[in-house]
Amino acid sequence: MDLGLQGKKAIVVGAARGIGMAVAETLAREGCDLAITARSEDGVKDAVASLKRYGTNVVGKAANVKKADDYKEWLTWAIDALGGCDILIPISSAGGGLGSEKYWHNAFEVDVMGPVRAVDAVLPTMTEQKSGSIVLIATTSAGEAMGGPQPYNAMKASLITWGKQLALFHGKDGIRVNVVSPGPVEFEGGNWDMIKGTMEKFYQSQLRQQPAGRLGTPEEIARCIVFLASPAASWCNGSHLVVDGAFTNRTHF
Amino acid sequence: MDVKRKVDMIRVNPQDWPDGTPAWKAEDPELGYDVIPAGRYTSAEFMKLEWDRVWTKVWLLGGRSVDLKEPGDYICTDIGKESVLIVRQLDGSVRAFPNVCLHRGNKLRPEGLGNAENFQCMYHHWTYGLDGCISRIPDVATFPQGGPPGMKLPSYPCEEWGSFVWFSLNPDVGPLADFLSPMQQHLEPYNIDRMAWTRDVTVEWDCNWKASVDAFSEVYHVQGIHPQLQWYLDDTNAQIDVYERHSRYLVPFATVSGRVALPSSIPPAIYEIMVKAGMDPAEYEGRVSDIRRDVQRFKREHGASQGKDYSRLNDDQLTDDYHYTIFPNVSLNVHADDVMMFRQRPHPTDPDKMLYDIWMLELVPEGEEWPERPKHRQFKHGDRSIGQVLDQDAFNLPTVQKGMHSDAFPGLWIGDQELRIRHFHKVLDDYVYGPGGKQPADL
Repeated sequence: MDLGLQGKKAIVVGAARGIGMAVAETLAREGCDLAITARSEDGVKDAVASLKRYGTNVVGKAANVKKADDYKEWLTWAIDALGGCDILIPISSAGGGLGSEKYWHNAFEVDVMGPVRAVDAVLPTMTEQKSGSIVLIATTSAGEAMGGPQPYNAMKASLITWGKQLALFHGKDGIRVNVVSPGPVEFEGGNWDMIKGTMEKFYQSQLRQQPAGRLGTPEEIARCIVFLASPAASWCNGSHLVVDGAFTNRTHF
Repeated sequence: MDVKRKVDMIRVNPQDWPDGTPAWKAEDPELGYDVIPAGRYTSAEFMKLEWDRVWTKVWLLGGRSVDLKEPGDYICTDIGKESVLIVRQLDGSVRAFPNVCLHRGNKLRPEGLGNAENFQCMYHHWTYGLDGCISRIPDVATFPQGGPPGMKLPSYPCEEWGSFVWFSLNPDVGPLADFLSPMQQHLEPYNIDRMAWTRDVTVEWDCNWKASVDAFSEVYHVQGIHPQLQWYLDDTNAQIDVYERHSRYLVPFATVSGRVALPSSIPPAIYEIMVKAGMDPAEYEGRVSDIRRDVQRFKREHGASQGKDYSRLNDDQLTDDYHYTIFPNVSLNVHADDVMMFRQRPHPTDPDKMLYDIWMLELVPEGEEWPERPKHRQFKHGDRSIGQVLDQDAFNLPTVQKGMHSDAFPGLWIGDQELRIRHFHKVLDDYVYGPGGKQPADL
């Protein structure tokens, strides 16, 4: 199956590591030009260098999603540098945290306003060209309890609602918006890698709850995200895809 | 070293802190690469040599001065086959005596702390003053030969330093200050005298006391038995310094080991360090690799307002583990706000057993009331947890001791990360065989 991604222009926010990095790599391998960002300058530099090996145009600059002006400036720069935008995948997250009001602000700024500002930035271009694909990244923790009553879970949940409404509203302009909710994912330097090292028993208890006896990999999530982002998923709009190896219990009728 | 990342650790410039704890890297001595014979962990003969030439010759840690506030306060502590009574005198000095009644040899006091007006033997009520003089022998007239010589307990050299009490079984021991040097300059900048007891535990371990000293003399074991600490400290960046008798390593805390990938979220144990310092981790905008430096800056700025005097400590000391071994048997993890120290005591008769004392102390902020002193507890290895990290440390020791008996195991194969172990055994050799006197056939 040809995903139809050759020559597409994609923006990935939060692409220096983990799922974001895997998404960027999958897109590059499929022939997409890429504009990427992350907070760490070194991280972006390394990611750009690595992604260029697939031979497409890859540009990147560090940006902090929390700094609205810098971030908006980066988005404008990215669209310019690519000469347009067909695909947007904003994936940066402030992560979890419990016990301080500040976590609500962090989650709001990064997990909610990160995508909101990116979507606002690409909509005019996508509307004008009458095509575009946006994939928002939520979490299985939005639908099922995980790690206590965290701002992260609640803020990510808002993306599922907002994503559906974006799809309904912009479908007429040829813009598709879908949401992917990954379950626990393990990669070197990721949270579950650290949990495995620091809280071995808890980690093992999570594995026992996984039907396959393991956590997901960034590549397994990335392939689903990239499919939804691609023209091959042209009839997927407003969908919410849970990618968790059947970790969650809920049945979606 | 097997690392994932090369970490360029920021360290203080020793020249910037001329009056504090020396931060200089001492030049490593050439101690060779010989096997350290396993026999010295198991042999009764070597145990006897240690008793005759180390335990009865050097200064030994007896207790803490805070437990000897008032005249009559005493600490009764055992070392090997001896029991020692350390007593605060009426004039404020401390003196130490053998804890044995000169009449029939009964112990005057059980091990532990107390306050007494005098020490009366529970057998026939022979009574000794705080100064060790016999004040009463019931029915004294029935001892035509009179009382024991001098009518007093012999006394042991006893001195205080650094809020600790030290004694020696050697009547001719040199000055304590000479023995401890240069630990004074290293440890005095910490306010150990303002630290309260938080834990006082003795665990009976099935290993030789040296196996325990060894266990706390290197961070090479972190990757093997404390994997979780790799998200708490950098075991690949320890500075090792060995001195005449004593030694140390400096391990950066509040940072992530070069052996694991750098996470983007704050590891739980580093999170706790930030909270303890008074920071809100949720507010933290920096990278995980910047936290150590930022905790140092935060403590420097806010220490005084928290009632904590860090003025004599360098920045690294505000986060890092300055870990000292005071020969022969004291290991101290020294931190700005707390000390976790161990005293490793030999069993009186069995080289396969030892007593492992855990002393945990915590800085009491200025103006705050001291917490109640925890009671001493003693139990056998495995009967109770001594905390995740120390349980991990203890886990291998009985099997290490078993291995020392194996005909297939000639002895310890020591690497550069374990230089302190090699140094410790060299110091031990010099006491046991005389300086440089160890022969190839010696244990």
